[in-house]
Amino acid sequence: MKKKTRERLGLAALNIFFIALCFVTLIPILYALSVSFSGTNSLLSSDFSFIPEDFTLANYVEVFTGEDIMTWFANSILLAAATVLISLAVSVPAAYCFSRRRFPGRRLVLRWLVLLNSFPAILSMFAVYRLLQPLGLVNHRLGLIIVYTGTMAVFSLWNMKGYFDTIPVDIEEAARMDGATDLQVVTRIVMPLAKPSVVVTALMVLIYVWNEYIYATTFMTGEENYTLAAGLYALQATEMSGSWPVFAAASIVVSLPVLIIFFLCQKHMTSGLTAGGVKG
Amino acid sequence: MKKRARSVLVSYLVSGPSLLLIALIVVFPIIYTFFISLTNMSVYHWFDFTLIGLDNYWRALFVFDSGFLSALLATVLWTAVNMAIQLVAAFLLASALNVKKLRLRKLYKTLLMFPWAMPGYVSILLWKTGVFNSEFGLLNQWMEALGRETMRWLSTDASAFVCCTVVNLWLALPFMIMIMDGALQSIDSSYYESAILDGASWLERTRYITLPSIRPIIAPAVIITVFTTFKQFDVVYLLTQQMGARTGSNFHTILTYAYENAFVTNNYGYSSAISIIIFVLMLIFSARFKLGGEAER
Repeated sequence: MKKKTRERLGLAALNIFFIALCFVTLIPILYALSVSFSGTNSLLSSDFSFIPEDFTLANYVEVFTGEDIMTWFANSILLAAATVLISLAVSVPAAYCFSRRRFPGRRLVLRWLVLLNSFPAILSMFAVYRLLQPLGLVNHRLGLIIVYTGTMAVFSLWNMKGYFDTIPVDIEEAARMDGATDLQVVTRIVMPLAKPSVVVTALMVLIYVWNEYIYATTFMTGEENYTLAAGLYALQATEMSGSWPVFAAASIVVSLPVLIIFFLCQKHMTSGLTAGGVKG
Repeated sequence: MKKRARSVLVSYLVSGPSLLLIALIVVFPIIYTFFISLTNMSVYHWFDFTLIGLDNYWRALFVFDSGFLSALLATVLWTAVNMAIQLVAAFLLASALNVKKLRLRKLYKTLLMFPWAMPGYVSILLWKTGVFNSEFGLLNQWMEALGRETMRWLSTDASAFVCCTVVNLWLALPFMIMIMDGALQSIDSSYYESAILDGASWLERTRYITLPSIRPIIAPAVIITVFTTFKQFDVVYLLTQQMGARTGSNFHTILTYAYENAFVTNNYGYSSAISIIIFVLMLIFSARFKLGGEAER
């Protein structure tokens, strides 16, 4: 009997500990959420609470009607869509090729790609800048799209190649026996099977573009060309004190799609990140 | 014979566009960075730079005042502290989450995943303004409520280091907890049952059963995390080193140091030399842990 009460007490303590831990963990997010809904700029009120004092949607209205933010939003969507499309268009064939075909240089390229990928993208930013400038690609959306696609290309290639490796070749051979052409094998058999990996890769590229701020602020001048990430960064860097509630609201809005994507495919994300040893 | 040649050509053509992009954005800039590192290129020598050999490397590695060595030291310390706390905390939390009768486990796990799910730069900026800001940050509001004096949390090296560590742990722990959790669940429970019958204590069970069993499973994730911690830029840059909003702390990781020399003081040749040194360090690490070689089947 005594042992049971002790066990129960321990379990209760553990539950209390985890509830407290979750709360502490979420404080920055909860605070931003509360500020984003509050009418009074909370830096003026001395007493602090996680429940907004004058509940209002004004900050969100400002986010969705503010011309800047909507332009940034459009830029982000455009850049992300273009980058994902080009990434998949070049990476899917290459990944399939590296998985199925054997050709001179294959192993060498695969190994070196991983090593070269450990060069942090930030360190080559200056070289990339000097490279793209004479081509007229600095301060041009196409320049950013090329940079993003190139940066994510190694990840995309490795990630999807790893998945293609797990699809048995027998299935393809069986289809060929039945008279399917190479193209039919790829479009009718391989692609439907590889769909999860393609979707995860596309989402990782999407999230990367959505979150990238340093290339976006360095390569683009003029706020009308910013992406959401770059704009949000500029917003907090310049006129912070006045617009903290708006900034908080914008942060929540920007994070929401990423949060949704994350929790929808959490399982794939973890396996996609750890398999192959390449982190996007 | 001809057929074979054609097949190889097709392979090259199909993977060509992807490899071309990689060559343009990943490979060539590294080579170009190496070239710049041998010159005195700076804002004053944008076009008329000259080759100066290994001077930049010499300055980085043997002139202590240059700041690279102290940044490297700080980065090593940063990586060690972060990894140590992260591994211990993640292990303890994952073990606690695996206590048998914890019914709300799933809820806790989901809530604890939030820092990982949020876009990193948004979280860091929220920490900077919501928690550490000297006027309306939570920390100073609490200090005021307690009648203590308010502080500028990010203004000195030591406190900036602590603040950056807290934020980095907040960002990185969910991933590590997840990995540990998965590893713990893969251990056969019969080992524990027989160990308990033999009268082994919790410490003994941890030391002789748990740790040896999870080590090979978590190793790849731990190595990757060491890399990302060593390469950490966003946390330090966004919290303390933002252009035009420096907080006064001189705590640099090697990446923020290289960035500052390239884009703030515009010393491109020197910054490139540092980039190449960092790259060589990474390659040595990679070779040590056989990254890349192992992944290829």
